[in-house]
Amino acid sequence: MRIKIAVVAGLGVLAWLLPYTIDSYAIHVVNVIIIFALLAVGLGLAMGVAGQVNLAQVAFFGVGAYATAILTTRAGLGFWFAAVLAIVITVVIGLLVGTPALRVQSHYLGIVTLGLALAFTNWVTNAQIAGGAEGISAIPAPELPGVDLSSEYLFYYLELIVFALALAFGLFVVRTGLGRRMRAMRDDSLAAGALGAEVPLLRMTAFLLASVYGGVAGVLYAGLIRFVAPESFGIANMFLLLGMVIIGGRQSLIGCVTGAVALYLVRELLSDHPTYAQIGYGAVVVLVVVFAPTGLAGIPPRLRALRRSSGTAARLQPFQAYETDVSSDDATILAIDGISKHFRGLKALDDVSLSVATGEIRGIVGPNGSGKTTLFNVISGLYKPTAGRVEFGGRDMTNVTPYRLSRAGLSRTFQNLRLFGDLTVRENVLVALDRSRTLDSWQYVLAPWLVSARDRRLRAEAGAVLDRFGLVEFAGQAPKALPYGIQRRVEIARAVAARPGLLLLDEPAAGLNGEEVRQLGEMVRSIRDSGVTVVLIEHNMGLVMSLCEKVTVLAGGRIIAEGTPAHVAATPAVIEAYLGDVMEIPTEATR
Amino acid sequence: MQVTLQTIIGGISLGAVYALVALGFSLVYRTMGLVNFAHGNVVTVGAYLASTFYLSTKLPFALAMIVAIAVTGVIGLVIERVLRPLENKDFDLMLIGTIGFGIVLDALIIMIWGATGRAVPSPVAGAPIELFGLRIRTYDLVVLAIAALATVLLVLFLSRTKRGAAMQAVAMDHEAATAVGINVGRSNAIAFMVGAGLAALAGGLVGPLLYVSPTLGGALGIKGFAAAILGGFGSIPGAVVGGLAIGVLDSFAAGHFQGYSELVTFLVFTAIIMIRPTGVFGERTVNRA
Repeated sequence: MRIKIAVVAGLGVLAWLLPYTIDSYAIHVVNVIIIFALLAVGLGLAMGVAGQVNLAQVAFFGVGAYATAILTTRAGLGFWFAAVLAIVITVVIGLLVGTPALRVQSHYLGIVTLGLALAFTNWVTNAQIAGGAEGISAIPAPELPGVDLSSEYLFYYLELIVFALALAFGLFVVRTGLGRRMRAMRDDSLAAGALGAEVPLLRMTAFLLASVYGGVAGVLYAGLIRFVAPESFGIANMFLLLGMVIIGGRQSLIGCVTGAVALYLVRELLSDHPTYAQIGYGAVVVLVVVFAPTGLAGIPPRLRALRRSSGTAARLQPFQAYETDVSSDDATILAIDGISKHFRGLKALDDVSLSVATGEIRGIVGPNGSGKTTLFNVISGLYKPTAGRVEFGGRDMTNVTPYRLSRAGLSRTFQNLRLFGDLTVRENVLVALDRSRTLDSWQYVLAPWLVSARDRRLRAEAGAVLDRFGLVEFAGQAPKALPYGIQRRVEIARAVAARPGLLLLDEPAAGLNGEEVRQLGEMVRSIRDSGVTVVLIEHNMGLVMSLCEKVTVLAGGRIIAEGTPAHVAATPAVIEAYLGDVMEIPTEATR
Repeated sequence: MQVTLQTIIGGISLGAVYALVALGFSLVYRTMGLVNFAHGNVVTVGAYLASTFYLSTKLPFALAMIVAIAVTGVIGLVIERVLRPLENKDFDLMLIGTIGFGIVLDALIIMIWGATGRAVPSPVAGAPIELFGLRIRTYDLVVLAIAALATVLLVLFLSRTKRGAAMQAVAMDHEAATAVGINVGRSNAIAFMVGAGLAALAGGLVGPLLYVSPTLGGALGIKGFAAAILGGFGSIPGAVVGGLAIGVLDSFAAGHFQGYSELVTFLVFTAIIMIRPTGVFGERTVNRA
C-alpha cells in the first residue's frame, strides 16, 4: 500500500515536471495522448468492465467536440458554458446509442453502435451547421483568469488534472459496488440478474460512463486543437482506439491508459509510414486476442502466478453451522398456482401447483426432462409462464424480473454453475451481499465517502461469509481455477450471501463425492435452521430422503406425487416414472 | 409511379450485391455464430483484385473475377486458421480479432493500390434496354443473373453435398457434430473460405457500378450486415430478401435525402434491430449461449 502511494506520488511529480523537459511539438503530442487515454478509459469501462461492445466511443468524442465548436462559434456561448452543455448533449446521445443494448448484445450491439457512429460522421460531413467536410475552425480558447490556456504548456496542466480526476473516478467505480456489479454482468448477465443486479440499468450506466468520458475528451480536444473536422472522428480512429484498449488490456483501466500511450507513441514514431503502423497494430490486436486476451495489463499477474505456483495449496475448511433461529411461523412462503410453460409445441410444465411452507426443506425430484429446472426458471423469473400464477411471500410475483425477485428475498443456484469467472471468490460473494440499488449511484459523484464506507462494511461481511463456508483460503482466487466441489460450495455461499428468505438449489449434489454430499446435507440443514426456506432439485435420493420433509415428484411436466419421502417412494406412479412400466417398453416392431 | 419503379430498379442491382455480402455474413454466422467484421474489407480486396486483373492484365472479366475469388478465399482461410483457438470459446474476443484483420487488410489495400480510387468500365457493352418507358442497364441484368446463380449454387452445396450437410450439422450443434466425427475446424474453414469468395464476387460485381476505393467495403459491409439482420441472421433466403430490401431502401433514401442517405439507412436499420432482432426469417434467438 505504502509502495503504491509512493509510486502514484512519484508519477504525479514526474507528470508535473514533464513540460519543463520537452519542446513544443512534444507537448502537443502529449496533450493528444492524454485525450486518447481519456477515451480509452471510457471505452474500457463500457467494453472491458461492463462487457458492452461499444464501437461508437469516437462518435461520442466527436459529439463532445462538435457540440463545443458549434455552441461557441455559432451560438457565441463562452467556452466553459458550452463545455458543460456539450457534455450533457454527449450523455443524451450516449444513452440513445445505448438503448439497443437493452435488446441486443455482443455482435449485434457492435454493428448497431458502429452504424450509428457512421451516421454521425455522415451527418457532420453534410450538415451546414457543422461546417461540412471543412469542419469548424477558430474555436475560441478556454479562458481562465490568470492562465493563458492557448499555450499548449498550460493546457497540459488542465488536461492533467482532468485526466487524473477521471482516472481516479474510473478506478473507484471499478473497485467498488457499481463496477463489481458491471463486471458480474459482463461475465454472466443471467446470474447477475438472479443476484439482484438491475441488468438493463447497468447497461445504460455503462453507456452513460462511456459518453461522459467521450464528452470530456471532446471538449478538451476542441479547446486544444480549436478546429474540428469529420475525419478526426471516423472509423479509422475508432479502430485505433479499440486497438489501444485491447492491446493495453480491456479489463484494466490502467491497462487501457498504457495501451493508449504506447500505441500512440509507436504511431508517432512511424508517422512517416502510417500504413506500416496500421498493419503493425492490426496484427498486434489479432495476436493479443489469440495469445494474451488480457493484454499488457495481464502480463504482471501472469508473471506473479508463475512465481507463486510453488507456494502451499489452499485448503477447504469445514463449514461452521449457523445459530438456530426458531422464530419460524407456519405461513406459506411460495405458492404456485396452475403454472404451465410451453416451448412451441412442447409442454415443459403443464398445470403445476404446489405450495411451500416457511422453514421447510422441499425436495423436487423427477426423471430427466420432467420440467424441474423449467419450474425453477419460472419461479426465479427467467422464464415467463404461459399460464398460471407465482406467489412469493404473499405477493403476486408472476412475470417479475429476476433482479426484483432477488431483492424480494429469492436466491438460487444453477444446475451447471454460473459463477462470475473473472471475479475472485470474494467478489462473487460481494456481488450477492451488496443490496444497494444501482439508482443510488449518484453517491459516486456527490458522496463518494458513503460508497467507500459501504464497501468496507460489505468486505467485512464477505469475510464472515467466507469464513463460515470455510472458503477463506480461496478468497482471492478465480473460481474457474478451483475444483468442482469447491465451486459448488462457492455458489451456495454466494446464494446465501444475498440473505434470501427462499433458497432454490438446482442439483447441488451433482458431481460431488460421498463426503462432500454429507457436508452439503449438513450445510443445507443449517441454512434452513437459520431461517431460510429451501427448495432443492436433486437426483441423489439418499440426500433427498434424509434431508427433505416433503418431496414433490414431477414427470412429463406434471406433478405425479407429493408427500413425505417414504410415502412418495412407495407410490406406484413414481416407481413407474422412474423405472418405466416393464411391460410397455417399446420395441422396434411396435414403433 | 414511373419514378418509383425506376428507383426500385435502380436499387435492385445494388441490392443483389448487398445480398451476396449478406450471404457471406450469414454463412459464417450460421456455421460458427461469429460476425466477421473483416468481411467488408474482404469485399474491398475482391473489388481491387478483380478490377486489377480486368484492367491491367486484360483478363476477361469473368476470369478476373474467378482469380479474385480464389485469392480472397485464401484470405478467409488464413483468418479462420489464426482465430481457431478462440472458436466456440469467446465470441467477443473473436469479433475483435476479425476487426484486427480488417485493420490489417485496410492498410494492405492502401499500400498496394494507394489511397485514391479507380473507376471500372462496364464489361458489357450495349445501350440500356427500354421497357415500358423504364431504362434498365444491361450490366444490372448481368449482376442479377450472377447473384442468382451464386445463391442457387450455395443452396445446392449446402443441401446436396456431404460437406454442405456437415456444415449444416455444425451450425446446429458443434459438439454433437464433433461426436459423430465431423471435422468442425474444417467446416468452419470452408464457411470462411466460401464467405470470403462471396465477398470477392460482390466486390468484383460492384466495381463497374460504384467507384472502387479503400472505403468501398466499409459501406458495403455494414449494409450487407444490415441486410442479413433484416432477413434474419443466418438464413439464406433471408439474406437475399434483406439484400434486395436494403438496396431499394438505399435507392429511395438517396433520392429523398441526398447526402443524408447513409444516416437514414442506419437509423432505419437500428430501429429494425430494436423492434425485431431476429429479422423476418430469423428463428434463432440473438444470443446462441
